[in-house]
Amino acid sequence: MPSSRSISLKLLLARHEVVLVLVILVEVVLFQLLGRNFLVGRNVSNVFRHSVEIGLLAVAMTPVILTGGIDLSVGSMMGLCAVLFGMMVNRLGMDPWFASLAVVGIGALGGGFNAVLITRLNLPPLIVTLGTFSLFRGLAEALTRGAESYSGFPPSFLALGNSDFAGIPAQVWIFIGVAVGIWLLVHRTTLGRSFRAIGFAPEGARYAGIPVARNTSIAYMIAGAVAGIAAVILVARLGEARANAGIGYELLAITAVVLGGVSIFGGSGTLAGTLLGWVALAILNNGLTRISDYRILEQPVASVARELSGLLTGLLLLTALSLGALTKTLAVRRARKQSLSDTSPNLVKS
Amino acid sequence: MNKYFRELTVAIALALLLLSLAIFAPHFFQAQPIISRLTSQMPALVAAVGIALVIISRQIDISIGAQFSMCAIVAGVTASAGFPLGMAILAALVTGALMGAVNGVLVAYLGLPSIVVTLATMVTWQEALRLWQQGRLLALPNGIQWFGLSQQVGQMVVISVALTLVVGAAWAMKNLSGGRQIYATGTDAEAARLAGIDPKRTTFRVFVLMGLLTGLAAVLNLVQSPQVQPNCGDGLDLKTIAAVVVGGVAISGGRGTMWGVLLGMLLLANVNPALTHFHQPPYWEKAIQGLVILLAAVADGLRSRKTKF
Repeated sequence: MPSSRSISLKLLLARHEVVLVLVILVEVVLFQLLGRNFLVGRNVSNVFRHSVEIGLLAVAMTPVILTGGIDLSVGSMMGLCAVLFGMMVNRLGMDPWFASLAVVGIGALGGGFNAVLITRLNLPPLIVTLGTFSLFRGLAEALTRGAESYSGFPPSFLALGNSDFAGIPAQVWIFIGVAVGIWLLVHRTTLGRSFRAIGFAPEGARYAGIPVARNTSIAYMIAGAVAGIAAVILVARLGEARANAGIGYELLAITAVVLGGVSIFGGSGTLAGTLLGWVALAILNNGLTRISDYRILEQPVASVARELSGLLTGLLLLTALSLGALTKTLAVRRARKQSLSDTSPNLVKS
Repeated sequence: MNKYFRELTVAIALALLLLSLAIFAPHFFQAQPIISRLTSQMPALVAAVGIALVIISRQIDISIGAQFSMCAIVAGVTASAGFPLGMAILAALVTGALMGAVNGVLVAYLGLPSIVVTLATMVTWQEALRLWQQGRLLALPNGIQWFGLSQQVGQMVVISVALTLVVGAAWAMKNLSGGRQIYATGTDAEAARLAGIDPKRTTFRVFVLMGLLTGLAAVLNLVQSPQVQPNCGDGLDLKTIAAVVVGGVAISGGRGTMWGVLLGMLLLANVNPALTHFHQPPYWEKAIQGLVILLAAVADGLRSRKTKF
């Protein structure tokens, strides 16, 4: 029999969050050793400034995935919200802050549209959000005739994307607010608990008296609204609103969530996991751009950092998934063997 | 209700679109442009056959765009290195089958959800390709374009290969036990297992087949131009899934025909040219595509609700 200490160590290692913290530590040490100016105040704040949008999407995607759903449309929603924001401010002369609020509302409406199709018509979330993935981006392209972009926003608004507030990038404060809000929702309210119940067994949740359709809808509406917030922050950072805002962000957000140990089938996972998954990705993205002394395929690492970090992200995700699946099958097999050897002498009893 | 209700509705929609084009924009139907347009859609059609198999077996593959680009570049590099066309084609097919096998092992034997697996492999192939090619346009040697034949003959070869494949797949899905096993696995994997089918092996084979067909699609695309772009597969995944869903393949698995896939592909492929012929700006293509996917999904949803109660 293994001692109790080794069991608790095993349990600790089995916690997804602990493994992720180790991964992050390894990343930090590696990039500090290999790269230049990695752990410098300016760069650390850049790591977060440049990944807040994906962090927001990942945090908002967590409740959706907990319910056993998925939202592929959040990146396209960002594009549509960015374009609408630009039009409201530039064409209609609206106040940027008021336009931001409007855009967040539109995002929630878009999420509500997904939710109606998913919950009222019982359509698979994958296909519904694949449709709106195309629809929202298409509307953004149609509104801008494929090429127009909007810029010239007031400096007070652009400060949201490019200035610091109390020592940290301004948009990180918004991110912290959203993350804390969703953490409270998921882990401290009955509504949040119902997300996991729905993902675990939708029929069972319904029998337990949970309003499944309503609660699922709330998850999708939050995702849409947060996509609106992410769009506003992206526009403030880039100073420009285009139809291609947020292309591919939904995949990065899903990657962060899955890397964070949230089950893609729904029912289990934590927001802390998502946040750690996101931090691991953000550090990987930034750290590779700091390595200029080493070369890969005859190119300095820094100049191919985007491709390399994408490749490593994919491999990391595949490894995380396979390891998770393998440990699960091994555990099941061992448990079966053990229960067989335990019960075999007195099979009659059972 | 008629078994082929969905295929019929798509056929009627396609007929209406073509009819209105015939009335309002008759120059749409000139022979040469039509053949060119058809030829350019054939690679996507071949990939759509593969994605239909995957969806019928109740899985999804969103990595086919990246697979397509990878196969095209591997074939292009092989040809540029001086190997004959046959070797280049073989290289594309093998590459596709290998990438499909990776997806297949992870989905079928490790039991991972296909959407996440193919998401991860998509990112991996795509970025590996970018790292390898740096976005360079790869010029192909002579004798590759149109298989070294004249353009007319080459176009005919491309079209007939793709259409033969559709007909063959339609026949096989209906009459071969392999095809029936795919339907059975997609309808209910556990029931299929109890009936003596190995659903894991079936799923694995479907993914390998998907990769193989992506390789073939990449070859059919490669021969159409004197160079190959490392991002030639971008958007192919969405395009083919849209075509397949519109053609009446149920995303919940177990239902759909190759004829529906063919019709869905033709319908979506004609949306954009129809827009230009009706003097409408083409920016609406993506929005219309999304709307069509949603309509098809809603139609399926309403229909299954009716049959349920």
